[in-house]
Amino acid sequence: MDVLLSGQLLFAALITGALYALIALGLNLVYGTMRLLNVAHGDLVMIGAYVAFWGLTLFGLSPVVGLVLAAAAGALLGWLTYLGLFRRLLASPQLMRRLEGNSLLLFFGISVILQNLASLAFTASARGYQFMDQVYRFGDVALTGNRIFVLVVAVAICAAVYLLLRFHVFGLAIKALIERRDAALIVGVDIDRVQLAAICLGFAIAAIAGVLVSTTEQISPFMGFPFTISAFVVIILGGLGNISAGLVAGLLLGVLEVYGVALTSAAYRSVLIYGVFIAILLVRPQGLLGRGSVVR
Amino acid sequence: MIRSLALPILFGLAGLVLPFTGSSYLIGVGFALCCSIALVQSWTVLSAMTGYVSLGHAVFYGLGAYVVALSWGALPMPVGLLLAGGVAGVFALLVGMPVLRVRGPYFVILTFGLAELVKYLVIILESELGSFSRLMFGAPDLGVLYAIAFALAAIATAGALLIRRSRLGRGLLALRENEEAAETVGVPVVRLKLVAFALSAVIPGVVGGLAAMRTTYFEPMQAFDPTVSFTIVTMAVVGGSDDARGPLLGAAFFTILSEVLWARLPQVYMVVLGLLLILFVLFIPRGLAGIFAGRPGKAA
Amino acid sequence: MNRRHLIAGAVLAAASFGLGGGAAWAADPVRIGFSIAKTGLFADAAPSQLNAYELWREQVNAAGGLDVAGTKRPVEFVQYDDQSNPGQAVRIYEKLITDDKVDLILAPWGTPHHFALAPVLEKYKFPMVGNSAASAQLRDIKPGYIWFPTSAIPDKIAPELVAMMKANKVTSVAILSSVLPFSKEIKTFLLPALKKEGIEVKVNEEYPPTTKDMTAMLTAVKKAKPDATIALSYPSDSVLFAKQAKEIGIESQFDFVLVGPTMDFYQKVVGASANNIVTVGHWSPYRADWTKAKPFYDAYVKKFNEIPDHLDSALAYISCEILQQAVAKAGLDKEKLREVISTTTFDTINGPVKFQGVENVATPTAFLQVQGDKIELVWPASIATAAYRPKTSW
Repeated sequence: MDVLLSGQLLFAALITGALYALIALGLNLVYGTMRLLNVAHGDLVMIGAYVAFWGLTLFGLSPVVGLVLAAAAGALLGWLTYLGLFRRLLASPQLMRRLEGNSLLLFFGISVILQNLASLAFTASARGYQFMDQVYRFGDVALTGNRIFVLVVAVAICAAVYLLLRFHVFGLAIKALIERRDAALIVGVDIDRVQLAAICLGFAIAAIAGVLVSTTEQISPFMGFPFTISAFVVIILGGLGNISAGLVAGLLLGVLEVYGVALTSAAYRSVLIYGVFIAILLVRPQGLLGRGSVVR
Repeated sequence: MIRSLALPILFGLAGLVLPFTGSSYLIGVGFALCCSIALVQSWTVLSAMTGYVSLGHAVFYGLGAYVVALSWGALPMPVGLLLAGGVAGVFALLVGMPVLRVRGPYFVILTFGLAELVKYLVIILESELGSFSRLMFGAPDLGVLYAIAFALAAIATAGALLIRRSRLGRGLLALRENEEAAETVGVPVVRLKLVAFALSAVIPGVVGGLAAMRTTYFEPMQAFDPTVSFTIVTMAVVGGSDDARGPLLGAAFFTILSEVLWARLPQVYMVVLGLLLILFVLFIPRGLAGIFAGRPGKAA
Repeated sequence: MNRRHLIAGAVLAAASFGLGGGAAWAADPVRIGFSIAKTGLFADAAPSQLNAYELWREQVNAAGGLDVAGTKRPVEFVQYDDQSNPGQAVRIYEKLITDDKVDLILAPWGTPHHFALAPVLEKYKFPMVGNSAASAQLRDIKPGYIWFPTSAIPDKIAPELVAMMKANKVTSVAILSSVLPFSKEIKTFLLPALKKEGIEVKVNEEYPPTTKDMTAMLTAVKKAKPDATIALSYPSDSVLFAKQAKEIGIESQFDFVLVGPTMDFYQKVVGASANNIVTVGHWSPYRADWTKAKPFYDAYVKKFNEIPDHLDSALAYISCEILQQAVAKAGLDKEKLREVISTTTFDTINGPVKFQGVENVATPTAFLQVQGDKIELVWPASIATAAYRPKTSW
């Protein structure tokens, strides 16, 4: 029982949860503004991880610099896919009729392409590096430096994006698009620009998360899919397109994973996560924290 | 009517001739193709006809494989296969009631999550049973497996054709257009959806069982591989799912293309497949069947 | 990894469009087919095997070609991606045998693939020396056209591991096990073996793949203070285990990690934490009487700029050596090959290899330990290259 009360477990839950919240944030922005189901989201995490890895390996750049490079790479990919694919998709009434299904397939195509290009360019072998692997002790809590790094960066970025959406004009436009798409059109929001910004921001966040992941675990071209899944679990928990609820849901998933395992058994980890996920979809599809009106 | 039957008959004849080539390789490709056709046709019964897009058909496939692996040696093979289909169908009936209340993107994600949940439940169950993986000795020869797969593809195609022309099919199409309206005019929406769900589950269950026999090995991570679900949807989009020709064309195109590609361009064929998928979604939204039909119409 | 490698990877695509094999050979090439997972679940594990194949081909061709019962012929590979799918592997081998009509075949990566192929080999009477398969069930396969050089078989790993722990005065253990087949199978044999020797199991936990946090499990291990911690883990959890064991401060001095420590990336990711971790494996470059071992290691490091996986790369290379020596004797006739492989003692980088049925009976089940930048054999004494060291820090 005292395990449950330990600060060690609390921090584990916070770190896991903060990373989930960050990864899901990017997915939620893209879904919220455009109703696109991005199943390539985890592959953007992979791209970010490789940017950090190669930055360090080839040019000796710290993963802190990698954060910026990865964000730029993610935004660039967002820009390319929006101009190349999604502007066309969103402009065609015929394709809009089954937007979710079509976007899912487009992103599936992108996912396959990204994974296999990465595998061709970098080989499929797992790789990795060490960063801030010193263990720091705070009372009876021990934390590895890179895990503190993950926590700090993830929280900072989530907070920054939250504040942007809350107070900045541009963020408000994104928020307007998410909550009242038709109304946003009427009041003269430049939808095209806002959508482009949202997809660039969403992809950049995923790539930043990839840098964080690469500091704590090994990376490979096919590492992305589990991240895609957990991001979907989080945004469903919070309610599709509901940004702030998604952040809370990310933390909740971290708590569920860490404390759920501590209370029952590690063997039940995946069943627990998917079980809660399905129960919520069946009982409250608007999300655990969502207001009924936010979605659809 | 005649036009829509021409293609299935052509496929059927080709399928009947294939074994006489005597080439194991060709029969192997034919087996994979028949399995794909059976899977995609079954999927359309639910997803194309009702608009409830399932990204979780791997669950029926995996359950079928599990049933066959469990009953291996204990039951005769045909009984095991029938049981595989039965279990998949019953499972769909059981979970269908709550699951089919959820719509749109939620349904897509829900079916995916359900397949993953069942995968991890089977892993725990196998662990409790003290099993790590199941080897199946004495599986039937490729020729036998091919014959069964061919029959399944034929049944699934005929079924999809018939259902479209039946009262059930008309009801399903009505609820796809507008579920509330259909309900108001007296279409038994809940029952129809449930029947469609169960029907679309049975044959994938049998196909999963066949696939397990083909590899003579069962392991949950392999059997419930989500790639199966994604591949089904991809083939349906490439072929088009407005009528029963689409799945034939989609499965054939996809199977033959990847067969040609992985032999010729081993390094980049997955990239090419990804690009093709994108091109199809953007430029040929009605799929190959849409090109064949030639007339402009609404998207599936 | 260096920049040269990156560029090499990038031009690989271009090269594969058919520019390869420009050298003019007097004799017809010997075509050797295989499938390998380039995409899917196993894609990141398969290169360790593919690299060994490619190194072998390069060496054979550089030496004038493969000796086919007296005639030297160049080696050419026919390889396809099986997408980590055993069903696909079955189709590929049927194609290789009946359509491409290759002269010889090598094994794909993964236990399920080997099992799926056994009936195909039987049907076409085509011999294949397997490598990466590891399951006690392989003994249930009808002997004939498939052989397994590995000695890392679960029902042997378990009692040997218990014997090694007993010899190092371990009286209690904590077991953390993945639910994937290789881990579960070892655990099935491990629990009774521990009981028999009177070693107490203080923690016994299982976890599914893609687990991202082990804090709760490892906190329980730390509290239980076992003499040994056994992580029956796959590569990604092996990293997680080492990182969090360091964070939480696991104090057991005998720490076993199943799959991962022999791979190149492992030490790069966990650094000094890998030091003194015990893992499974029966090959080391430092065994002086295996005269081919060190040259293989050096050639591999030179070509790929990373260390060979001491389990999978070594096994893959061994299977090539066996095939090479058998072909020198028997030529390409399948029945003669089968006969020779079944009866000959082969001289490999792993010393002598001799099959009885499907199994290699010459190589003992053994354990490796990461010691600084070397990976040494520490058990059993008959082939050890260094003494076992207790793990005193992470």
